[in-house]
Amino acid sequence: MRNKKFVLLILIPAFFHLAVFMLMPIIGSGVISFMDYNPLRTDNAFIGFDNYVRMLGDKVFYKALTNTLIFVFSTVAINLVLSLTLAALISQLKSNKSRSFFRMIVFIPCVAPIVASSVVWGGIVFRTKGGLLNMIANACGGNAVNWLGDANFLMISVIIFTLWADIGYNVILFSAGMDGIPAEIYQASEIDGAGKWRQFFSLTLPLLSRTFAFVLIMTLISQFQMFAQFEVLAFKNGPQNSGLVLTSFIYKTAFVYKDMGYASAISMFFFVIILVITLIQQRLSKVKWEY
Amino acid sequence: MKKLLFCIMVVMLVLGTAACGGKAVSSEASGAQANADNGKVIELTFWAHQQPAWNDSYQAIADSFTAENPNIKINYEFFPYDQFESKLQTSLIAKSGGADIYELWGGWGVDFASTGALAAMPDELAKRIRDDSYPATYGSLEYDGKLYGVPMEFNIECGGMLVNLKLLEENGLKIPETWKELIDSAKKATVFEGDQIKIKGFDFVNWDSVSFLLTSMILSNGGQYLNVDGTFNFTSDQAKDAFGELAKLVLEDKVTDLYGLTGGGDMESYQLLFSDMALFVPRGPWTIAEGIDTFKLTYGTDFTYAALPWYGSKPAFAAETGWSLVVNGNSENREAAFKFLEYFFKDEVVLNHNINCAMIPPKKTVAQSQEYIEKMPEVKILVDILDKSQYIGHFNTDVFKETINNVFVDYCSGIYSSIDEALADLEEKLNSSLR
Repeated sequence: MRNKKFVLLILIPAFFHLAVFMLMPIIGSGVISFMDYNPLRTDNAFIGFDNYVRMLGDKVFYKALTNTLIFVFSTVAINLVLSLTLAALISQLKSNKSRSFFRMIVFIPCVAPIVASSVVWGGIVFRTKGGLLNMIANACGGNAVNWLGDANFLMISVIIFTLWADIGYNVILFSAGMDGIPAEIYQASEIDGAGKWRQFFSLTLPLLSRTFAFVLIMTLISQFQMFAQFEVLAFKNGPQNSGLVLTSFIYKTAFVYKDMGYASAISMFFFVIILVITLIQQRLSKVKWEY
Repeated sequence: MKKLLFCIMVVMLVLGTAACGGKAVSSEASGAQANADNGKVIELTFWAHQQPAWNDSYQAIADSFTAENPNIKINYEFFPYDQFESKLQTSLIAKSGGADIYELWGGWGVDFASTGALAAMPDELAKRIRDDSYPATYGSLEYDGKLYGVPMEFNIECGGMLVNLKLLEENGLKIPETWKELIDSAKKATVFEGDQIKIKGFDFVNWDSVSFLLTSMILSNGGQYLNVDGTFNFTSDQAKDAFGELAKLVLEDKVTDLYGLTGGGDMESYQLLFSDMALFVPRGPWTIAEGIDTFKLTYGTDFTYAALPWYGSKPAFAAETGWSLVVNGNSENREAAFKFLEYFFKDEVVLNHNINCAMIPPKKTVAQSQEYIEKMPEVKILVDILDKSQYIGHFNTDVFKETINNVFVDYCSGIYSSIDEALADLEEKLNSSLR
């Protein structure tokens, strides 16, 4: 009982932080979403569900939503496959130094600020004239591509960049998960005649399911919230709004159009998406075993 | 114990909320006035964006003002441009703290003037501004019969163009005097490398120029893009003709491409011109300093600034309100701030500031003065046409430009089947943005 009180006391600052900086903004945003809101005005009219009705009839909103879903599910799927593969390959290395070296290499992009690396990629890799990708394309006999100015290529470019920038975290997490699997299990499977592939699919993957669930949910949420690379790489949201995602749409609506009521309505919708995905994910990822 | 913990949490929450959002209760308003009366020094805070030439000029003006008014001191705080708008907006929302005087881009005035966040100019100063300034220079600072700022410049993005003299000479061309000469010269100077344009003849595809060229072409053909009730009209014959001409320059004449609006290019159009990759670029006179300072080029030898030929028979163009000075509606030192703005709006102060910052003056008397033309001969072509301007209109110009640019890019990309369809959509989108 005494221990419980101590824990509660210790948690007060965290609750305070959570309430003031997390909960209250969400509640505030929910209230604002029912208003024609401009913070500079003294009177802001209550307009009921008008902002939500407007959202459901807004083609730009659907474009932003579609782009967001395409971006999130593509990056998450590719990210998980690549990071798991890389982690598995690195874990095959015998030497500790080699493993550490390769983990460090894949983690370096995560250390760089995403705005700075977006600028570098936009100016060096994706540039139409003299960009790295087009130089490779030209050397292979192909035509130059307007990576950031063509509606068909913009999202692909942002996905490529995001994978490069983001994959290192998950490699480290998967590596840590793999290192935590007891060696005896692999030794026993070897005695039973299991090969490397069989070990990976029948032992490593199932035993990584907790790590996998954690990585999946964190990656999903972080990809939904991606903003900086779209602001840098997609000039004014790109042609035909091909680089417009929900985060940039919310930012633009609130701070360029000064339409904060509508921006809050979109934010609330966005909040609900992430909440639902998180709840589903948590339910699916429950495991009843340990080693 | 649980109740106690609950109570502590609630108290902390309430205190936190009050600390975050509470408005400072102050009795300093009367105190500030009392300071002035007692001969104590009033300190005014002035926020502006970082721009060395502008910042030096502000400091010089503040020094001379303080020399005349020893009881008022101006403290400047300069912020990087990309952070400036959000800082300004946040401080005005907070309704306490922030600055007494702000440098404000005219386009933002539409959003702020109607909210009470800015102080209305005293009647006498407002009358002086209206009597001696071009309407475009203060249009967005007006709301409900009151004026909420002092214009510092005439922001002009149409009427003049940069010319790369090296490319002009290489192609055996002269500075065009008619629209037809402009397009013929641009076609001759355009160079392709594969399917990419290496040298653009007339690069008007950038964030500002498509909108300003389109509106100017409509007006110079005798049309209007605004109805009497303030709604948009982009379906007139003049609008169709102007839009079609601009699209033709991209699709048929191929004197430029869409990179300036879609991304993919690594330089702005005027930067391309300074790098010998464009012959003509219609942009404001502020680009001249960029050519000289950043690209280390010589004006008159490497490049020049020339009159952009009118598309139609009647010289006319639209202009948006440029940089202005405003007073925080919650400032406790409003009277002193107005005094500084009045000083700033004196002919000799505006003249020196505009010369030092390479700006076009907002005041008719200053713009047309012999002294200004002597010091800024390169912009005489613009000064000569200032009276042909009209205020662009009381709406968010970012939304206006973005909508026009998007429809233009979409039309040139084949999204619309006809100009009629594109312009009907443009008109509908712009009118629906007028909420």
